[in-house]
Amino acid sequence: MASTAEKPVSGSSGVEPRDSQPPPRSNPWRRPWALEGFTWLYILWSIVPIAIAVLFSFNKGASQATWQGFSTKWYVGSQVTSVLHNPSLHHAVIQTLILGGLTTLICVPIGVGFAIGIDRWRTRTASGLNFVLIFSFVIPELLLAVALFLLVTQALTFIHLGTPAEVAGLVVWNLSWPAIIVRARLISIGRSYEEAAADLGASRLGAIRRVLLPMLMPAIFASAVLVFASTVDDFVIVEQLSSTANTQPMSVLIYSNVHGGLSGPALNALATIMLLISLIVAVIGFVAYRWLTRGERTEGGTEALTGIAGI
Amino acid sequence: MGRRQGSGRRNRWLWIGLAAPGAVWLLVLFVAPFYVMLSVAGGGINEFFQTVVPVWNPIHWSSFNFSAVWHDIVGPGAFIGSPALRTIGYTAIATVISLAIAYPVAYFVSRYAGKRKSLFLILLIAPFWVSYMMRMLAWIDLLQQGGFFNSALSFFGLPGNTDWLGGKSVTVIMGLVYGYIPYLILVLYAFLDRIDQSLIEAARDLGLSKWRTFWSVTIPLSKPALVAGTFITVLPMLGDYFTNQLLSGAPGTSMIGNAIEGQLDSPGETGQGAVLALMLLVVLLIPMIYYVVSTARTSREMA
Amino acid sequence: MSGGNVKLESLTKRFDEVAAVDDISLEIQAGEFFSLLGPSGCGKTTTLRMVAGFEPPSTGKILLDGDDVAKLPPNRRDVNTVFQSYALFPFLTVAENVAFGMKYKSVPKAQLKTRVAEALEMVQLSGYEQRRPNQLSGGQQQRVALARALVLRPSVLLLDEPLGALDAKLRRALQVELAALQKQVGITFLYVTHDQEEALTMSDRLAVMNHGKVAQLGTPEDVYNEPADAYVADFLGVSNLMDARVKPGGQSTGCCRLQMGEFTLEANAGELNATGAVKLAIRPERINVEPYETVGANRVPGMVERLVFLGSTTHVYVRLATGSTLQTLVRNDGAELPYGQGTAVSVSIPADALRVLPDPGVSVGEIHDETTGEELLDLSGTRSA
Repeated sequence: MASTAEKPVSGSSGVEPRDSQPPPRSNPWRRPWALEGFTWLYILWSIVPIAIAVLFSFNKGASQATWQGFSTKWYVGSQVTSVLHNPSLHHAVIQTLILGGLTTLICVPIGVGFAIGIDRWRTRTASGLNFVLIFSFVIPELLLAVALFLLVTQALTFIHLGTPAEVAGLVVWNLSWPAIIVRARLISIGRSYEEAAADLGASRLGAIRRVLLPMLMPAIFASAVLVFASTVDDFVIVEQLSSTANTQPMSVLIYSNVHGGLSGPALNALATIMLLISLIVAVIGFVAYRWLTRGERTEGGTEALTGIAGI
Repeated sequence: MGRRQGSGRRNRWLWIGLAAPGAVWLLVLFVAPFYVMLSVAGGGINEFFQTVVPVWNPIHWSSFNFSAVWHDIVGPGAFIGSPALRTIGYTAIATVISLAIAYPVAYFVSRYAGKRKSLFLILLIAPFWVSYMMRMLAWIDLLQQGGFFNSALSFFGLPGNTDWLGGKSVTVIMGLVYGYIPYLILVLYAFLDRIDQSLIEAARDLGLSKWRTFWSVTIPLSKPALVAGTFITVLPMLGDYFTNQLLSGAPGTSMIGNAIEGQLDSPGETGQGAVLALMLLVVLLIPMIYYVVSTARTSREMA
Repeated sequence: MSGGNVKLESLTKRFDEVAAVDDISLEIQAGEFFSLLGPSGCGKTTTLRMVAGFEPPSTGKILLDGDDVAKLPPNRRDVNTVFQSYALFPFLTVAENVAFGMKYKSVPKAQLKTRVAEALEMVQLSGYEQRRPNQLSGGQQQRVALARALVLRPSVLLLDEPLGALDAKLRRALQVELAALQKQVGITFLYVTHDQEEALTMSDRLAVMNHGKVAQLGTPEDVYNEPADAYVADFLGVSNLMDARVKPGGQSTGCCRLQMGEFTLEANAGELNATGAVKLAIRPERINVEPYETVGANRVPGMVERLVFLGSTTHVYVRLATGSTLQTLVRNDGAELPYGQGTAVSVSIPADALRVLPDPGVSVGEIHDETTGEELLDLSGTRSA
């Protein structure tokens, strides 16, 4: 109750005395439209260029800037320049898929095993290995690519340049995804479920198989999706470790042809295909993630999104 | 089944076995390559083939390549100095701009988005899935001589014939920001989302205005977010070479990554490329170690 | 396998230099409901985990029906645990959770369903087979955890503060159910709790633990009515600890004469042969608050400090002329109390109920009223009687 007997406390910085405050200029519950507007501006700036580029992959003409009508010739129509028919474009798509698939298939199991093992094997060696892993997360890709190139050409020459070297390098580069994501999930799961399984009769391996892995499945899945997308996108390591033009995936092909070479919209088409592949994988992953966590979800539907993004 | 060794910690072999493939892969394909890089840097050249001759024994490492690079940096005809400085400059500017954009966006989505949080998250995560190539390609299309950007400028009466892709720092910096900001936003979001709302409510309850709460409570609480975000932006950006390559291609905007790559590909200068790469690595080592140590510490605290 | 006798022999567990469990020896009879009672950090959970197999003991033996199981991993012991967090597998249904352990006992498939149904019926959750844990309330989850452990018919069931996360009313109801269930099933229950009411309600016998050691072991009545020391007296309910000195030459015919301030008291319970400075304990329900003029033995004048209404009872806090404050208990039987705050009264402390206790030598610390949570004054030494 506003009492006249109460003297307002003299305000120290920032703490407003209750009775001498001027009426608020604006509704304290109003929405922060300035922040929201800024966010939308960012989103537009972020997405619109991509949308335009996708649009232009369907351009009838050869320009990446002037719209000349709708056509799918860059994808399937033209005999010479379309992705379907041009052999180097064609091979690039396949090579990307091969790289993505192989890397994911190798990287995820290794990474998951690494995460579980390091978490339980509490010694200094384990922490040391963990350190190395985090290093691989922050190092500029170029440095690793250069080092790998030298390794493969000077020392371990049985790893041939081209797909084998690329996969080896990509696995190392992406190892941190499953390792870190699964490790985080492992920490939040805690030990009690495995202890319960052991209490009920499971051996340690049995407990991992029957209890831990199912509970880790969402994280494993999320990291697999991330590894795949990251590999599809990658070109620093791939370029450095590539051999002939035949083994170029889409990312490298675009990179090398940007300043001339293949006509513009063909690159757009290629990039759009890359986009589609990533998106399809992302959507599959998202759906699968939600299905896998259907027994655990609390309120708020954002866990699937952040989980899938590896946050 | 015979008697086991006992519960818990005594029997380690299961864990070691699980971690082994990953550990081996890391050691062979992450740690070893840098030793090779050292050996190449400290090695010599096969004069005839202009190929690299690595020297494996540290005792026999020569300073041949190192002195060549030193001359490239400080001697007459030095050409490493400007890319190095430029790299630092670009990275600093791009990081500041990125933080200035990313923080408000992450702040908004984590605190004010309410029911539309999922929608915003999808829109923020989307660039993640769009490949880097596509994002750069999009801007190349737009910034071409006859592209949309110039058309829009001339529509508004401004000069519309600038060659944005011909070697402009502005373009490269914008490209760096565009390329790295999605990671930054997501990392900031992840941290900001975890800030306990009741701390902010407590500050308001105690009498602080919205602005004061922001400066005295939210910003300090955001410190780990900002630190983490800065690290994962600055460290990879310092090794960037492709943004410049795609959006400019001119030597006037080259970064140190371009120098490394250039030397590596030139026959006879591969060793020097290795030295440059090593120097970049050494420069980055201290911040990287700091980041690794603090990450390991916080993850242990959360356990 | 019937049986379920658990014997701990000189069991010790050290973490670095600290002994969390310090040389404990006790025996739990087959079919008993046995509780380990104590505050956080007293070692009760560590003891339980050692029996379950999740912590290896530093020294000592754990004998299950005569066999030393200390070296066996948890999945090889005939012991099952109900965890504090229930640890129900979120990706399995209730039925699948309950059936989990039977795979390792090679139960034929035909029997699986019936045994699961039996177990669920025992915990009154028939019909919940297809639900998922996140669709259940806390009390229901706890019952599934119970069913999952009981379905395996272990010799001993370990329970680690299973009712901790539930609200008070549910807790009380489940206490009764658990005790009845144990009698019905006949398995040894080893129950860990910090709540003395739980331990008193459900146990056949209990052990009060303090800093890794057993302070007292006995039936609830024994431990409550005849606490061995000030720590036990104070942990199990209010003990109204007071300081006093034994009057020399006063020991005769099973009673002890004591000097408390300027008052002389007689005590018939506890360490009657003690000398020197001792502690006196009396339960609130044994104290009588009488009109001021009442005279007689073992009466101390005082003033009513505060009355706290608790529904079925009222706590009356009386400040004695000696300076201590006693908490007494009055049943609310409809009649109005003949005193209020500030009334001068006479406090009668019957000799049979007044217990002489040795000082255990460990700090008792703050004494909290277990019902209202308020901190009573520290009676154990800082204020001179």
